[in-house]
Amino acid sequence: MMRKVSTAIGALLLVGLLVVGGCQLTQSKASQPDTAKWEQIEEQTSAIETVDKQAVINGGEFNKFFPSNGDGYERVYTQEKDGFAEAKLKQDGNTLAMLSVSDTVSNPAAVNKYQNSDRTLQGYPLAEVGSTATSLLVADRLQVKVLSRDTDFAPSDREAWLEKFDLSGLAKLVD
Amino acid sequence: MSKPIYELVNNLPEKNLTVFVLRSLDKILPGEWENIVGFENTIRQVTGESDAVLIEQIGARAIQLYNDKSEGYQRAMWLYQTIDSTGRALGQAALAGKVTENVPFLSIVNRLTPKPEKAQTIDLCMKLVTEIVAFCKINGIPGDSVGDFVKALGDYGGESLVRMAGLVCFDGLVPLGPNFIKQTETVLGNLTPKDLESNPAFKAIKDAVPGNKTDDQLTFIGASFESVKGWMGGFVESKGITPQGVVANIRTFVDIADDKMDYFGAFLDISTNYYEHTGVQTLTRRLVERAVAEI
Repeated sequence: MMRKVSTAIGALLLVGLLVVGGCQLTQSKASQPDTAKWEQIEEQTSAIETVDKQAVINGGEFNKFFPSNGDGYERVYTQEKDGFAEAKLKQDGNTLAMLSVSDTVSNPAAVNKYQNSDRTLQGYPLAEVGSTATSLLVADRLQVKVLSRDTDFAPSDREAWLEKFDLSGLAKLVD
Repeated sequence: MSKPIYELVNNLPEKNLTVFVLRSLDKILPGEWENIVGFENTIRQVTGESDAVLIEQIGARAIQLYNDKSEGYQRAMWLYQTIDSTGRALGQAALAGKVTENVPFLSIVNRLTPKPEKAQTIDLCMKLVTEIVAFCKINGIPGDSVGDFVKALGDYGGESLVRMAGLVCFDGLVPLGPNFIKQTETVLGNLTPKDLESNPAFKAIKDAVPGNKTDDQLTFIGASFESVKGWMGGFVESKGITPQGVVANIRTFVDIADDKMDYFGAFLDISTNYYEHTGVQTLTRRLVERAVAEI
């Protein structure tokens, strides 16, 4: 009798597992190819631990070199992490762009794009990446980037806002 | 390590009870939330870029940042997942396979027990503390002044704002009623460290709550509630939200009987994970914003 009961419970559990498992299977199926692709990318990506974290400048050091509020523009700081600070540029409540400074010591590959750059802004090498980003490299190390978040915010606007950073102030952080 | 970030985002459901419940908030916050699922899709939406190679670069950097424990993203993810998981086991069993149908609230009502007011109040506060701690883990403490930080906190939009609206509606108004802010203040005022230690939600995330002793943690919880109660009250008033209104918006897909209203808070508690769902979305958005700026 006991054996029958336990078999019945076992069967019920199995059905339960199949139902739950089946649901999960159908749910994740659609995105499986994407997950496999990123798995592969993850395997090819080195761990961040390989960089010297002690050498990375704290993001808080960058804040005071950002363009200031005014002329109807509002700057809202959004992130401050090791080697990174970011702010939103807003006007009338709309986000026009993201403004950021990052220390390339934590991501050395970022520097490569400036090596072939034939343009400069205030003497710093300039690079345009994708359709939304313009950036420059200060003191061969600090990347200042402006990313459009509104279709009307053109590459020329990005360059104008790059110039509003205190670039020479940032350069002194590296000395 | 827990699941990789791309897997968590790829596995976000497009349709389930949590998504329906979050959509019901559209009446309060029109157009604020779009259920963005999928890692690659999130990168496209957040950055506005479409070049495949560039998207892979951004994704690789995001994965790298997420995988580094000292960056704090995994801790934030754990918080969002943990605070939502207390009490959900029963719900998942009861609702297995029924997620896209009209949800049979009545069929599980006999398994529900409304939480005592004190426990519900602590739950509300613990979700709030989760939000504050997770915010700092994800974003750091942006800016150079208290004003900058308050501005950063006030800049909630999209899924973050909807999560806060969910907190007010599903963990405040529905289970505790229209006076939930006053009630929470009263309960918090009389709460002892011992009360706190016996609460499952607190126990689950205790290690992440600032403070060395339970006493200090209680102070932090009180201060957290104090700092956002004004926003909560203003939100309820400006949007004219009532418990009945919240329930009416959900009623289109859940068959709630009027005499079982007391059970509805418990029903939402066990059957949805809106904090985790929108938490994954917020975290990924911020991670991608950082990754695209750093590459």
